[in-house]
Amino acid sequence: MTVPVIHRDTATEVFFDSTARGELLIRHCADCGAHAAPQSGACPVCQNPVTAWAAAAGTGTVVAWTAVHGRPGDGAPASEAVSALIELTEGPWLYAPLRNLGPGERPWTGMSVVVAFERPEGGEAIPVFRPTV
Amino acid sequence: MTTDTARGPVIAGLGITETGKVYGRSAADFAADAVRRAADDAGLTLSDIDGLLTSSGVMPGVGLSLQTELGLRDLRLLSEMQAYGSTAGGMVQYAAMAVRAGMAEAVACVFADAPLKEKTSAGALYSGAGLGTSGWMGLTAAAGMISATPQYAVAARRHMDTYGTTSEQLAHIAVAQRAWAGMNPRAQFHDPITVEDHQASRLIAEPLHLLDCCLVSNGGVAVIVTTAERAAHLRKPPVHLLGWAQAHPGYPMNRDSDLGLVSGAAQAGPAALKMAGVTIEDVDVAELYDCYTFTVLLTLEDYGFCAKGEGGAFAASGALAPGGSLPVNTGGGQLSSYYLWGMTPLSEAVIQARGEAGERQVSRHDVVLVSGNGGCFAHHSTLVLSPHARA
Repeated sequence: MTVPVIHRDTATEVFFDSTARGELLIRHCADCGAHAAPQSGACPVCQNPVTAWAAAAGTGTVVAWTAVHGRPGDGAPASEAVSALIELTEGPWLYAPLRNLGPGERPWTGMSVVVAFERPEGGEAIPVFRPTV
Repeated sequence: MTTDTARGPVIAGLGITETGKVYGRSAADFAADAVRRAADDAGLTLSDIDGLLTSSGVMPGVGLSLQTELGLRDLRLLSEMQAYGSTAGGMVQYAAMAVRAGMAEAVACVFADAPLKEKTSAGALYSGAGLGTSGWMGLTAAAGMISATPQYAVAARRHMDTYGTTSEQLAHIAVAQRAWAGMNPRAQFHDPITVEDHQASRLIAEPLHLLDCCLVSNGGVAVIVTTAERAAHLRKPPVHLLGWAQAHPGYPMNRDSDLGLVSGAAQAGPAALKMAGVTIEDVDVAELYDCYTFTVLLTLEDYGFCAKGEGGAFAASGALAPGGSLPVNTGGGQLSSYYLWGMTPLSEAVIQARGEAGERQVSRHDVVLVSGNGGCFAHHSTLVLSPHARA
């Protein structure tokens, strides 16, 4: 299972520059100090525009998860892709693929995870998470 | 009639086209057909319509050009609206306010879609709908949120982990609605299903099975909103719009979010009931937006039909099925009848309120509650309908 090819746009330039360096950026409110998810335009606490970025520690826990099942192909078993809603240690949420799980293995709510990055050929580097060892 | 009651908003016409696997027609064609049927149902001519609100699904084309398509002259109200699955309820709300204010006399509200094509899987049609391959939407898609289904799956999982809700409890919603669908000639599925059938249906996005998911349909539905005064002289008994409300939670993407635990129904439901002058105990029938079984469960809790966290047990009690204490989605809903976004619950609500549901007609239908839901619980609309004007 690999991440699909995703391209940057103006709004995501800084974010994808950082994932290319192996860094996960989130938003930081210069007014009240709260953190926000990378795509947030406004601070979730004081609603002021968030323009500053901050490097996330890259650690978090699973809030909830799913495993998306593909259709079985010719003789091939159906694919299963586990994705989770991650709560970063700083508070913001992020949907991300979960890696390093064994066949049929499933995460659980509260599971500790840490970020890694995958860069598909021709696309931006995408944050994925794996269980904290 | 006092001026206030005279201008009280009602639904006076309902038009439902052929629905389901009806190929070779555009969404605009279904929309025009639905408006003509609704006008005819009300005993109105197209020239009586002076307001038009339109709403598209995944296929474009149900917009302002519908005026030309229908040859409508001198409209006093015209807009295309979009709040996803809450739009149908929203259109009726804006139409109700327009007729009450005297801005228009007869407003047609229409939704139509035609995503189904021959020899194409229904799931493929919605996979990636609205998601691009760039920017933030691309990042969400890359995370595996490739359609609405995985997002609802994550929301359902959160409810399960928080309250102990089970897949078998969700199954009871699908089973109950299929039982209702068996009595609806318009339904795409009629054969009864069991909890075991639900559990055996293939997993789409855990914990959601195929039988947790709505079907996909082509077709269109329109309603005509006018005043009680005008409807008194029309063909069909009016369905009074006693109360309405919207709620758009604006869930933050952080630890303060109620995603999967509480929806906009928790605010819109009580507000609409209060406007109607009734309580949740007065509701005889509930037609709830059911893109997934879990949507029904969360809406039941948030409207207050059961306590928070007890939606699963409530569904498993058999309450929602024919003969149960709370008839829900009496036409089979989006899971089993036809999927025309918010028009699915609204159309069945009008049919039940009028007493036109035939074999599946519920005996008490004085207060009918209708929900609309869009995005992943991001947008909610509520309507309270009744065959009677407010006392």
